[in-house]
Amino acid sequence: MSTRLSKMISVRRTTLISRKVLIDSLVRLSPLRLIANPVMLIVEITFFIVAAMALDPEAFPRLANSSLQIFYGEVALILLITAWFSTLSDALAESQAKNTANSLRRLEMEVSSKKILIEAGSRRIVPTPSRDLRTGDLILLEKNDTVPIDAQVLEGIAMVDESLLTGESTAVRKAPGDDVIGGSQVLSDTLTAKITVNPDETFINQMIRMVESSKRPKTPNEQAVTIVLIGLTAIFTILIGALLGVSLVLSLAADLSVLIALYVCLLPTTIGALLPSIGLSGISRLYKEKIVAKSGRAVETAGDTDVILLDKTGTITVGNRQAVEFLPFLGFNERDVGEAAFLASWHDDTPEGRSLIRLAYEDGFVPKEMNALDASEVYEFSASTRTSGVKLAGGTGFMLPKSGGTGRERGRLRRKFEPHVEGGVPIGSDETEIIKGAPDAIKKIVKSVPGDYDKVVQEISAAGDTAMALSRNREAIGIVRLRDVLKPDIREKIMAVKVMGIRPVMITGDQPLTAKSIAAEVGIDEYQPEAKPEDKYDIVKREQAETRIVAMIGDGTNDAPALAMADVGLAMNSGTQAAKEAANMVDLESNPAKIIEVVMLGKQLLMTRGAVTTFSIANDVAKYFAIMPVLFASTVPELKALNVLGLGLNTAVLSALIFNAIIIPLLIPLAMRGVTFKPSGTMTLFLKNTMIYGIGGVIIPFVGIKLIDVAISLL
Amino acid sequence: MDWKEYFLAALIVNIFQMALAFVIFAFQGVLPLNPQGFPGLSWDLAFMQVISFGTNTNLQHYSGEGNCVQLPNCTALRPGVPGLSYLSQMMAVQFLQFTSAATGICVAVAMIRGFIIHSKDSGNFYVDFTRTLTRILFPLCFVASLVFVGLGVPQTLTGYQITKTVEGAAQTILVGPVASLASIMQLGTNGGGYYGANSAYPFQNPNPASDVFQIFLMLLIPTTLCFVFGQLIGKKRETRPILWGAYALFALDLLIAFTPNFPVVGPGMEVRFGGFFSVFWTVVTTAATTGSVNTSLSGLYPLVILSAFNGMLIQATPGGKGVGVMYMVMFIVLTVFIVGLMSGRTPEYLGLKITARDVKLVMIAFLVHPVIVLVPTVLAYSTGAAGAIGVGTNSIGFTKIFYEFTSAAANNGSDFLGATANTPFFNISTAIVMFLGRFAPIGLLLALGGSMINRKRLTTEAGVRTDSPLFALILVGSILVLVLLTFFPFLALGPILEFFQGRVNGF
Repeated sequence: MSTRLSKMISVRRTTLISRKVLIDSLVRLSPLRLIANPVMLIVEITFFIVAAMALDPEAFPRLANSSLQIFYGEVALILLITAWFSTLSDALAESQAKNTANSLRRLEMEVSSKKILIEAGSRRIVPTPSRDLRTGDLILLEKNDTVPIDAQVLEGIAMVDESLLTGESTAVRKAPGDDVIGGSQVLSDTLTAKITVNPDETFINQMIRMVESSKRPKTPNEQAVTIVLIGLTAIFTILIGALLGVSLVLSLAADLSVLIALYVCLLPTTIGALLPSIGLSGISRLYKEKIVAKSGRAVETAGDTDVILLDKTGTITVGNRQAVEFLPFLGFNERDVGEAAFLASWHDDTPEGRSLIRLAYEDGFVPKEMNALDASEVYEFSASTRTSGVKLAGGTGFMLPKSGGTGRERGRLRRKFEPHVEGGVPIGSDETEIIKGAPDAIKKIVKSVPGDYDKVVQEISAAGDTAMALSRNREAIGIVRLRDVLKPDIREKIMAVKVMGIRPVMITGDQPLTAKSIAAEVGIDEYQPEAKPEDKYDIVKREQAETRIVAMIGDGTNDAPALAMADVGLAMNSGTQAAKEAANMVDLESNPAKIIEVVMLGKQLLMTRGAVTTFSIANDVAKYFAIMPVLFASTVPELKALNVLGLGLNTAVLSALIFNAIIIPLLIPLAMRGVTFKPSGTMTLFLKNTMIYGIGGVIIPFVGIKLIDVAISLL
Repeated sequence: MDWKEYFLAALIVNIFQMALAFVIFAFQGVLPLNPQGFPGLSWDLAFMQVISFGTNTNLQHYSGEGNCVQLPNCTALRPGVPGLSYLSQMMAVQFLQFTSAATGICVAVAMIRGFIIHSKDSGNFYVDFTRTLTRILFPLCFVASLVFVGLGVPQTLTGYQITKTVEGAAQTILVGPVASLASIMQLGTNGGGYYGANSAYPFQNPNPASDVFQIFLMLLIPTTLCFVFGQLIGKKRETRPILWGAYALFALDLLIAFTPNFPVVGPGMEVRFGGFFSVFWTVVTTAATTGSVNTSLSGLYPLVILSAFNGMLIQATPGGKGVGVMYMVMFIVLTVFIVGLMSGRTPEYLGLKITARDVKLVMIAFLVHPVIVLVPTVLAYSTGAAGAIGVGTNSIGFTKIFYEFTSAAANNGSDFLGATANTPFFNISTAIVMFLGRFAPIGLLLALGGSMINRKRLTTEAGVRTDSPLFALILVGSILVLVLLTFFPFLALGPILEFFQGRVNGF
C-alpha cells in the first residue's frame, strides 16, 4: 500500500506537454492574463501591429511596403510564437506546481473525525469534518481512522502509519505526548488526541497556498530582477521610438516590421518568459526532495548560508551507535561480556540495544539463561541512574507487555521510567542481575572497580567511540565499545559544503574527545560537544551577531527558539509541532542531512535566475549585427558592412527572430531543472558561470542565427 | 544631513549661484569691467549658459572673445556671435566653474559616505562645499594659474591691445584673465574656455608644455577620486575595480581613436600640436567629460569621434569630477547584481546586500541618459531646428546633433556646433538636458548611498570579490554591453556610418 501511496505523492514528470498544459498556455495568451508579464505583453502588442501590417500594408504609409505582405505575416507568426513559448513555460511550471499542491492536498484530505464532547461529565462522540476542528478540540482515533489534522496524543498507545508523509513503510508507535500528523493512519488500537493546529495553519496548507496563488509574493530577489527587466524594456522602448523618429525625420525608410523585430529581439524576452517558472519550479524541486517550504524567500536565503549547524546524530552519523567490540576485565572473557550484554539488552528496543544483541549473536554468545528471560524483571532506562538492566529468575516485579512494535526513542522510555533506588533491590542467591550503562554510572554501583577500568574507558573515548559498562551481580565484568556509524556520503557532502565557503558546525551531546574524533573523521573543524538544546540558540545568536547567515535543523520543542531565529530552519516531520511551526521548512522524511541539499538548491535557484538574465542580455549583441544592416538597407547601404555573419538580406530578420523565440523552449529545461554546478567557491562559480552564460551568451546567438539563416535559405 | 537634505542643499545652492550668474550675463553691458563694451546676452542664451556652467558642462553657444565688427570696441557684434566681458568671464564663468566642480566632489563624497562602515549620515553639504573650495580647488588653481602664466598664458584686465605687426599692419591682441580661467576649467573638468576656439587658441594653450599640463590637470582630480573612494571606505583594495575599470575603458578609447590603417586627423586641422596630441587630447577630454578642445572636432576622423562618444556615454573613464566615481559605482552595483547572481548568493557589494530598491535607483539613473540624449536628437530634426542652422541630414550632420546632446547630457561641453547653436531651440533644449543629466543621476545615486547607511553589513567576505582583476574585466565587459546596447543604432547612424562611407568614398 505504501508504495502505491508514495507513488501517488511523488511529483509527476511534467516535461511532457499534456493537452491540459497546451490549452492553458493558449488561454494565457489573452492580453488580460499577460499584463502580469509586461515584456511578453509588449511582444503580443507588436504581434497585433505586424499582423495589421500583413493584412493592410496601405494603412502604414512610409512604414510598410505592400510587396512585403508575406514577410509581415511570417514576422507576425514568429512574434506570436515567441509570446506563446513564454505562456507555455508558465503553464508547464504551474502544472508542475499544481501537481505538487494536489499531492499535498491529499495529505490534507477532508476526513470525518470523531470529536469528543464532554458534557456533564459524560463523553459524547460527534462526527465532525476536519475543517471544523479547532486547536484544543479532543478527538478519538480508532483503528483504520485517518488522523484529520496534526494532534497530540493524550491517552492510549497505538501504531500509526505515516508512510503517506514520509514514504517509509514502517509503522510508528505513538504514545501519550507524541504528535500524530494529519494524513497518517491508525493501524491498531485507540488514541485520544488533542488538536494542536487550526486547519488552515498547517505547514502543508501554507505551502499549498504559496504554490497555488497566482499572486505568489515575489521574493526580494525576484523583485530586483523584475526591476532590471522593466528598466531594460524602458530603455529599448525609448531607443526604438527614437530610431523610428530618426528614420522618419531623416527619411531613412526603415520598415516598421524590421524595427519591431529589432525591438523584440532586444527586449529581455528570454528571462522575461522564464522568470516566473524558475522560482516556481524551485519550490517543486524542493518538494521532490520531500521538503515542504513555507516561503520561497527561505529557499533563496538558504543559498546565502555562511554557517550550517549539523546535529551529529542523524545528520553525520546513522541514528545511534552500534556495538562493535566486547572488552572483558581481568577474570572474565569475551563470552561473559557478550552474554551479559545479550541479556541486558533483550528488553531494550533502542537501536543501540539491538546492536548489542546482534553483535553478541554474531559472535556466538547466546546465553543459556535465555529461557529465563521471559520471567525476568526489567529495569527500564532511567535518566537519573543512566543505566538499564534485567534481573533473572525469581523476579517478582511486573512485566512490561511486549507489543510487537519497536520502541522509537529514549524519550518514550524516559517517560515510563520507574524510579528504582540507586543500587537496585538486593539480589537473591538464585538471581542474576545484569546492569548496563554509562561507565561512570556503573562505577557507582559495583562493589569494586577494576584497576584498568578508567584506562579502558579513556582509550575508547580517545578513539572517538563510546564506552558502555556491564555489571553482573554488582561486579564490573567488561566494557562494550559502541561506535558511531557515519552516514554514507556524509564526508563528501561536508567537503562540498566547505568548498562552497560554508562553515559546518557539529552539535553533539557527546563528550569532547568523542566529538573531536568524529568531527575530524568527517572533516569538520568546529564542533560543540556536550551540547544542550539551548546551546543551538546561543550559537545561532552568536553567528548572527557576526552577520552570518545560519542554517540549522531541529526537531524537539527545545529547538523551536533556535529554529525561529535561524535564517534557514529545517524541522523534522517527526519532531514536535512547536519545532515545525518555528521552522521555515519541514522535511517530511525527517532526514536532517537534507539541510545540505536545501542550501545547494537555494544557490541553484539564484544561479539559474542570474544565468538566464545574463544570457538574455548578452544575446542582444549578435542581434544588432543581424538586424542593423537590414534596417536601413535601402537608404544607407554602407551599414551592410556590419553584416559580419554574411546573412542573407531577406532572411537575416527572420533568423534573428526565430533564434530569439526558439531559445525560450530550449531553456525551459534549464529553468525547470536549474543550472547544474559542481560545489566550489563563490568566486569560482561566478567566473565559471560568467564564462558560460555571459561570454557564451554573446557567442551562441552568432552561431545560432547563422545556422538558422543557412537553414532558411536552403528551404 | 541625510541624503535628501544634502541633495536639496546642493541643488538650492547651485540654483542660487546660477541665478547670480544669470544676472551678470544678462546685464554685462551695463556692468563694470567691460572694456570691449559687449552687450548683455539674450535671455535664452544666458539661461542656457548658466545651466551649462552650473552643471559642469560648459557647452558654449558664444565666443568668449566676441566676433566684433570693429575692434577693439565690440559694441557692434556680428549677429548671433556674442562675447563675454571680463566681469562675466570671472564672476559668472569662473565662479560657476569653481562651484560646480566643488559640488561634484561634495556629492561624490556624500554618496561614498553611505558605504562607509558606521557612518551616520551623508555629511554636511555646506562644510564639504567650503572645504573643497578652500582646501582643494583654490590652492591647486592658484598654483596652476601661475604655471600657465609662466608658460605664456595672459592674465590681465587691460582690455584688447592693438599692436603693429612687423609688416606694419595693426593687429588686435585678444587678452584677458585667461590663465586663471584655464586652470579651473581643466582642473574642475569644466572645459569652457576663454576663447571660442578653446585650447586651440594660442593664448589659452601656447605651447606643447601647456598642452601636456592641461591634459594632466584634466585627469588629476577624477583619478584621485578613485583612490578617495577606497581610502574613505577603509578598504583600499576596492579602489581597484573603479580605477582599473576606468582606465581599461580609457585604453579602449585610445585604441579606437588610434586604430591603425586609418588616418586619425583630417583636413582643415589645427596642426600646432600635430595629430597625436590632438587625438589624445580629444580622448582625454571626453573620458574625463571635461569638454575643452585643442582642435576642431570637424577635422577629426569618425573613429576618433566614436571614441569621444564612448567616453561621454560611459561617463566613468574616469569621468567628470566626482560624478565619474558615482557612475562607476552605479555600474559596479548593476554588474554585481546581474552577473553576480550567478555566484549562487544574493549579490552584495562591500558586504552590503543589494536590494530591489537599490536596483531600482540604479536602473533609473542609467535610464536618464538615453532619454535625454535620444529624444532631443530626434526633436532637433523633427522641429526643423537642425535644418535652420544648416546641419544636414547625412551621417555627418546627424553626428553633430547627436554629439551636441550627448555632450550636454554627459556634462561634457565639447561640441561641433559652437556659437552657431545660439538659437532658442538649442539653448533651451540643451539647458534642460544638461540640468537633468547633472542633477537626476546625482539625486538618485545620493539616494543609493544614503540607503546604505545603517544597513546590515556582512563581514564574511563570502560574496563575489570585487577587487579581483577578473571582476574588473567582467565590469568592463558589462559596461560596454549595457552602454552599446543602448546607443548602438545611433552610433551606427553617426560616426560608424561616417566611417563606412569614408572607407568607400574616401575620407
